[in-house]
Amino acid sequence: MAGQLLFKANGVGKTYGLNTVLRDIDMEIYSGEVIGLIGENGAGKSTLMKLIAGVTKPSMGSMELQGQPYSVNSILEANKHGIGMVFQEQSLVANLTISQNIYLGREKKYATLGFVNWAKMNADAKKALERIGIDLDVTKKVRDIDFAMRQMVEIAKVLDVVTETANGHAIILLDEPTTVLSDDEIKALFEQVRKMKEAGNAVIFISHRLDEVLEITDRIYVFKDGEETGVFPTEGADTNILYERMVGRVATGEFYIENRQTVATDEVVLQVKDLSVFGAFNHVSFDLHKGEVLGLCGVEGSGKEDVCAVLIGDVEPTSGKVIIGGKERTFKNPYQARHAGILSVPKERRDEGMIGILSIENNIVISHMEALQNGFILSGKKTEGIANEWVKKAGVKCVGIKQHINQLSGGNAQKVIFARALESNCPVLILNHPTRGVDVGSKEEIYTLIREMTEAGNSIIVIGDTLDECIGLSSRIIVLKDGLVTAEFDCPVGNKPTQMDIVQTMM
Amino acid sequence: MNNKWEASMETLSVGEQFAEKVKDNAKKDRIRRMMPIILLVVMTAIGAITQKNFFSARNLVNILYQMSIPLVISVSLMFVLLLGSIDLSIEGVMGFAGSFTAFLVQNRTNSNNFGIFGILIVLVICTCVGALTGFIHTKGRIASFITTYAVGQVMTGVAVLVYNSTPIAVTEPAFVTISQGRLFGIPYLTLMSFAIFAIGAIILNFTAFGRAVYAIGDNETAAASTGINVTLTKIKVFALSALMASAAGILMCIRLKLGQSSIGLNQMFPVVTAIVLGGGSLYGGKGGALSAFVGVLVYTELTNWLTLMGVDTYLRGVIQGVIIIVAVTLTIERTRKTISK
Repeated sequence: MAGQLLFKANGVGKTYGLNTVLRDIDMEIYSGEVIGLIGENGAGKSTLMKLIAGVTKPSMGSMELQGQPYSVNSILEANKHGIGMVFQEQSLVANLTISQNIYLGREKKYATLGFVNWAKMNADAKKALERIGIDLDVTKKVRDIDFAMRQMVEIAKVLDVVTETANGHAIILLDEPTTVLSDDEIKALFEQVRKMKEAGNAVIFISHRLDEVLEITDRIYVFKDGEETGVFPTEGADTNILYERMVGRVATGEFYIENRQTVATDEVVLQVKDLSVFGAFNHVSFDLHKGEVLGLCGVEGSGKEDVCAVLIGDVEPTSGKVIIGGKERTFKNPYQARHAGILSVPKERRDEGMIGILSIENNIVISHMEALQNGFILSGKKTEGIANEWVKKAGVKCVGIKQHINQLSGGNAQKVIFARALESNCPVLILNHPTRGVDVGSKEEIYTLIREMTEAGNSIIVIGDTLDECIGLSSRIIVLKDGLVTAEFDCPVGNKPTQMDIVQTMM
Repeated sequence: MNNKWEASMETLSVGEQFAEKVKDNAKKDRIRRMMPIILLVVMTAIGAITQKNFFSARNLVNILYQMSIPLVISVSLMFVLLLGSIDLSIEGVMGFAGSFTAFLVQNRTNSNNFGIFGILIVLVICTCVGALTGFIHTKGRIASFITTYAVGQVMTGVAVLVYNSTPIAVTEPAFVTISQGRLFGIPYLTLMSFAIFAIGAIILNFTAFGRAVYAIGDNETAAASTGINVTLTKIKVFALSALMASAAGILMCIRLKLGQSSIGLNQMFPVVTAIVLGGGSLYGGKGGALSAFVGVLVYTELTNWLTLMGVDTYLRGVIQGVIIIVAVTLTIERTRKTISK
């Protein structure tokens, strides 16, 4: 390590409520180096970044900056210490100009008697951009420039903020900066990263693309389930070991109730032929058989979510066919998809799945109300009967079926949403992160429900919360990478592919 | 700083603290939901104490009569507001319905005499207009307040065109009978309004459609993901809203025996305010038949009381405005992060 020690984390961790998302992280950052952070979604990379950047505070452990204890309450305070983060979700204000954005919150130094000297600010903004090799009209509004440029402006802003205070010893955090950039733009970004590094700054770089991490970084930290599973110098890094450390230990087949995994029948219930959505995924084809669980794997942005969005009617495909019940269909909305027999359990339970104001009972029957009416009037007897049956069967812990769903814990609310999916009588169910934010006990009950669904002849497409889960549940897996299908695996009980097999086709 | 929790912080685990907070929120929520009823009791008490005539049979019937048209309009609004939308065309549709009814039944201006069929024609036309409004709003993805404002303008204009700028006087004998008739001392018009409101309440609380309206208003994304037909439900709501507005217009026409566009004037916003007083939300998902009823009742009592007190018209506006702000402050739920727009 050439430079001096800039930053040190000692046993840092973070808990939200009872949920530990990061534990016991040790990290050292030296000046003039680029550090890569890799790991699956939810491994804790972004959480660690947020702790360092002052977005949230650690629940345990301590941090040091240049030998001094480091504890900040806000991004601004972190900036004053020379630490700045370029956010995954961009933090620019679209209806302000580029220069106004770069100096947002710091206008004071350009103001006399409250009047801002725009010309001076613009000139400085131009210089800030030139420093990273960008020539832009800084009086343009941010909404008028493309995403790649916004990313550059964001970087220029952060760089300007931190260099103002930490001359040559800034720490810049880049959280997946390349996802929206083209190859040329990535090259230009890397050029800038190298320049920052040569000037003695440190850069932390998060990416899903291992090749990028190997290209730009000096050292790599690997994360898995909120824990640090290894630190490697990039030079001579063994990709196999990196993969292995990312996937970590494997849960037993028992956990996923593999003994009840069904063998798919030959009957095809859903056919996807050469399906494409412009800018999301191309030429995806597969058959879904009666009674099987088909897993879709891929990193974020690989297109797996978009495939599901087409199947449930959220997005219309650019080309290709979806054939269900022997008929070619295009769904304009989820209502049409449900009538054709496809229903989803959405990923963001609180935002997309639960209807908080309604009771457990109403949340269960809502996808099936037409059948429960006597004339116009909804039959309270029928809905109550169904709700009671499901609450018992799915083991929902609640006061009663009239309780509002938003008073339930994550796991119990999810069981209610599963009950709704099962009650809908749709033969094809799409489960998007079925166990996200659910405790271990509820997970097991949800896996049981999934097994029951397939035993009853339903077909399931699942996007797993973890790769391990996806392998454990599925009888077949399709892997997407950058919008294309890169591999297909059969996963019969006792002969399942390993996570390594799949990760290698994902990244 | 909120120091309410500080004492028990050391003794409870974070999980237990969270449970405490949930319990506390539920309690606050219960109190807030009781507020409209408390408001009603307080208003009634103030009325009874300050005006000995307030509780006279005559004044009670009077209050019921005064609240009848707002009650019909509140059916429109309780559905629309539950969606988180607004229907600014209510006043225009009312004006049109009244004017066109006068045009179709026996009147002094022309020789039309369609009787009850005239009323049915008006109801059908207005329902279609509402459905069209809903269609434009959903398919064109144009905000409801723009769409409905524009449709309201059109309907007001058409209303005036119908009677060619001289309002039509109705001579239909049935209108006279209905407007003067009473059952157990309560005017027919009041009874009809309450019946219409009851039907609206039943649709909202006991049909799949009503459940879908609540679901969409609370969380449209989630409602869509359950496979509810969001577009169709919204179109139905606007059709129903226009149907109810036209019913209100027809009742006004019966009451006044005159058809003119201005019968809708200033009828909508008081009812919106009343529903919010009753615990409804302009952002959708909250409210319902009870909050609409209590809100309209409180609002009417307030107006009635100010009249009984003999307060000057302009001063009455001032007092009414202040009381409404105080009352709404007590009943609405607030979010911590954003100030409402």
